[in-house]
Amino acid sequence: MRDVTIGQYYPSNSIVHRADPRFKLVILILYIVTVFFCESFFSFGVMTVFVLVTILLSRVPFLKVLKGLKIIIVIVLITTLLMMIFYSDTSSKPLAEWGIFHIYLNGIYASIKLAWRLLLLVMMPTVLTLTSTPTELCDGLESLLSPLKKIRFPVHELALIMSIALRLIPTLIEETDKIMNAQKARGAAFESRNPFKKIKAMLPVLIPLFVSSFRRADDLADAMDSRCYRGAKGRTRMKKLRCHVGDVLALLFWCAVTVFILFLKYNWLGWGFVTVLGL
Amino acid sequence: MIDVKNLSFVYSPKTPFTTQALYDINLQIETGDFFGIIGSTGAGKSTLVSHFNALTRVQKNSGTVLVDDIDLSAKKIDLKKLRAKVGMVFQYPEHQLFDDTVEKDVMFGPKNLGLPVEEQKERARQAIELVGLDFNEIAQRSPFELSGGQKRRVALAGVLAMRPEILVLDEPTAGLDPVGKRDIMQLVVHAKEMCPTVVMISHNMDEIAEYCNKIAVLNRGRVMGVFSPRELFGSEELLFKCGVELPLVTELAVRLYNNGIDIDRTVLTEDELVRELMKVGGHA
Amino acid sequence: MPFLEFSNVDYSYPSGDNDYIQALRAVSLSVERGEFVALVGCNGSGKSTFARLANGLLLPDGGAVTVDGMNTADKSKLYDIRKKIGVVFQNPDNQMVTTIVEDDVAFGPENLGLPPNEIRERVDWALDCVGMREYATSGPFRLSGGQKQRVAIAGVLAIKPELMILDEATGMLDPDGRKEVLNVVKKLNREENMAVVMITHFMEEAAEADRIIILERGAVVANGGKELFQSPEIFTHAGLDLPVYVRVAQKLKAGGIDIGCPLSVDEFVAAAKGALGKKEGGA
Repeated sequence: MRDVTIGQYYPSNSIVHRADPRFKLVILILYIVTVFFCESFFSFGVMTVFVLVTILLSRVPFLKVLKGLKIIIVIVLITTLLMMIFYSDTSSKPLAEWGIFHIYLNGIYASIKLAWRLLLLVMMPTVLTLTSTPTELCDGLESLLSPLKKIRFPVHELALIMSIALRLIPTLIEETDKIMNAQKARGAAFESRNPFKKIKAMLPVLIPLFVSSFRRADDLADAMDSRCYRGAKGRTRMKKLRCHVGDVLALLFWCAVTVFILFLKYNWLGWGFVTVLGL
Repeated sequence: MIDVKNLSFVYSPKTPFTTQALYDINLQIETGDFFGIIGSTGAGKSTLVSHFNALTRVQKNSGTVLVDDIDLSAKKIDLKKLRAKVGMVFQYPEHQLFDDTVEKDVMFGPKNLGLPVEEQKERARQAIELVGLDFNEIAQRSPFELSGGQKRRVALAGVLAMRPEILVLDEPTAGLDPVGKRDIMQLVVHAKEMCPTVVMISHNMDEIAEYCNKIAVLNRGRVMGVFSPRELFGSEELLFKCGVELPLVTELAVRLYNNGIDIDRTVLTEDELVRELMKVGGHA
Repeated sequence: MPFLEFSNVDYSYPSGDNDYIQALRAVSLSVERGEFVALVGCNGSGKSTFARLANGLLLPDGGAVTVDGMNTADKSKLYDIRKKIGVVFQNPDNQMVTTIVEDDVAFGPENLGLPPNEIRERVDWALDCVGMREYATSGPFRLSGGQKQRVAIAGVLAIKPELMILDEATGMLDPDGRKEVLNVVKKLNREENMAVVMITHFMEEAAEADRIIILERGAVVANGGKELFQSPEIFTHAGLDLPVYVRVAQKLKAGGIDIGCPLSVDEFVAAAKGALGKKEGGA
C-alpha cells in the first residue's frame, strides 16, 4: 500500500519539470492518441525511444518510474498471456497447441503489441505525475478548461476537488491500515471467502473510515475558510503558468511525431521495410 | 510473559526504499510488570509492540518473540488464542468505534472469540462498568454521541471485554485534558488488578515515572536499556545518553540540588519532592 | 476599541435528537493588538467553539463578536475578518490543502489575490519564520507532527493576520513537537508583534502568556495575569492542573514553608533557595 505512486511528485529542476503543465497535458493527450495510431513494431519503437528520452530529460531515476508501474506491469503480463493463448487465426497453422489452446505466430505478434501499447499508455502519465506537482496539474487543467466557464461549468471547483483528492488518498490509505489493525487486535477476521460475509466483516473498518473522512472533510473546509478561501473569485497563483519557447517547440515536435506515425500507419511514405516489420 | 530475542524489523524489504525500524531488540516483560516504553517519535516503539499480538509478523531470521508459550516467529500462530491473551489499545482508540450501540461495540471482541451471546453480554457489562461508565445509562446509546473522554473509555472497554492477560497501550492519554489523563491512568491501574501485565508507550515522563516499574528506552530502533524509574531518572548520564527528558518533578529536584539544596535528586512524585523539601526545612 | 471582542456571546449546538449543548454562555472578553493570551479549560469547556466564533466559522446565538469593529454576523465582512484573524487547528493532518509545503503556504495569499511575486515573498518569509524553509518543496508525509503544525502556522502567517488563534494546536503533538510550536509562537508574538490566543490545556504553555482566561462549562470564570496562579482553586475547579512548580509551592505552604507563588522553574528554584537557605543559616 505504501508504494502507490499516483500523486507522488519527484522533486527536480529538469526541463520536463519546468515545462508548462498545460503543454504537458496537451502533449499527453496527443501522445495517447498517437499510441493508438501505432501499428507496426517500427512505430512502437519510435514512440519508445521518445518516451525514454523524455524520462532521461526529466532526471527521474528509471527505477522510480518502474516502481510506479509495478502493479500495471503484472496486469499487462496477464492480459498478454491470455491474448496469446486465446488468439485464433484460421489462415495459418498454429506453432503449438495444448488441448483447446493454440499458439499462432500472429498471436504472439498481436499480444506483444498489446503489451507494448499498454505500457506506452501508462508510462507517460506516470512521468507526468512524477514531474508535475498536483497543484501544477490542477492549475493546468483549470486553465485548459477555462473556456467551459462560459457555459457555467465549475472548472475551478473540479480542479480543486482533484487536488484535494490527490492530497488525501495516502492519508486515507494509512487510516485504513490503522483501523484494520485495531479491529484485528479485537479478533476480527477479514479473510472470509464468502463475499457477503466479507462485506459484513469490513463494516467495522468502513464505518470508522467514513466517520473519520467526514471529520477530515469538515476540518479541511474550516481550515480553507479560515484562510480566506471564497472560490475562484479574485484568486491569483504564486506559480503563474507561463509558456516558454521550449514548450511550444516540444508541442510542435510531438505534432510532428503524430504526423509521422500517421504516415507510417497509412504507408504514405511507401516505406516497404515498415510494412515488413509491421507484419 | 513476553520474551523478545534478537528482534529486527525492516519496512519494504528487498526494495530500494528499505528502512530498518528495529535492530536486534532484547527484552523480557514479566507477569505483573507495568512496563513502560519510551523514545522519540520514529524510535520504533509502535513497530515493536505491534509484534506482541502478531499484527506485525516476525520476519525470517530476524529473531524471536515468545508470548508465554506461543512462538510468534512460527509459521502458523493460533491468532485467536494470542489475541485473547494480548489486548491492544491503539492511539486514539475511539476512532475504531463502529457499532450502533455501546453494548454491541464492546461485544465485538468477545463475539470474535466465539463466546456464547450470554457470555458476550456479561463481559460487555463488566467491562463497561470497569471503565467507570454506568451500564444502564450508556449501553443502548450510540457510541458516536458520547463525549471524547467517554468514547475513549468505551474503546478501552472493547479491549478489556476480551479479558486479556497482557494489556498493551499506545499513548492511552494522548489528546486528553489533565483530568481526563488522570482518569484514564486510574482506570488502567484498576484494570491491572484483572489483567496482570501492562505495557505502555508514552511520551509523558510524569506518567511513566509515576506508574511504571520498568522502563525500556528505545532510540532509532535500538533498546538503550531497561531500567527502574529511579535508575533512569536518577542518572543524568543515562538520561543524556538515551535522550530522555526528566519528569517535571525530578527536573525541579535536580535544579534545586544543583543550587545547593541538599535533597534526593531522584524523586518521582510531587509528594516525594515536598517531603524532601520539608526535611531540609526542618519540618519532618 | 479592543481588536477582538466577544460581548455576551451565547452559543449552543444540537446533540442527539432534541437536545442542545450550551457551549458558551454569556461570554464577554476581549483581546488587544500584540497581546499573548492563553485560553484554558478542560475538554468540553467551549474553548474550541471560541476559535470558530472568532473568525465567523460559527455565528453566535446571542450577543456579538466583533473584529476590529466588524461584526462577524455581517457576511460581507467575513473575508476581511479572516484576513485579520488566522486560526491554526488541532489536527496537523487535516489542514494541508496540497501535497507540497510551499504550495500549501501559498494557498492563503493566493486567495487574497496578491500578485505572484508578492505571494512568493510572503511564502518564503513565512517559512523562514517557522524554520521550515528547507522543506519548501517536500510533501507532508515525511514531516513530523510538530513540523506539520509549523507549516500550518506558516500558512496562516502568509496571510499576515494581526491575531493568530491556535486551537489546541499542540494537543496531538509529542513533547518535542509542542516545544517547537510554542517557541515559534513566542517568537512571532515578540518579534512580529502578532497577537496570539493560545487555546490549550497544558498549563506550562499557559504560564508563558501575558493573560490567562479560564473557561468552565462555557463561561469565563477567570481572566487575568499570572497572579491567577496564586488562586489554585479556580484552576482545579475548572478541571485543570496548575504548573508543577505552583503545585509543589502550594503543598509546601500547607506544610509551613512559604516560598510564595513561583511562576517558572527559575523562580521556584530561587524562591526555594531563599526560604530554605535562610533556615539553615538560622540553625
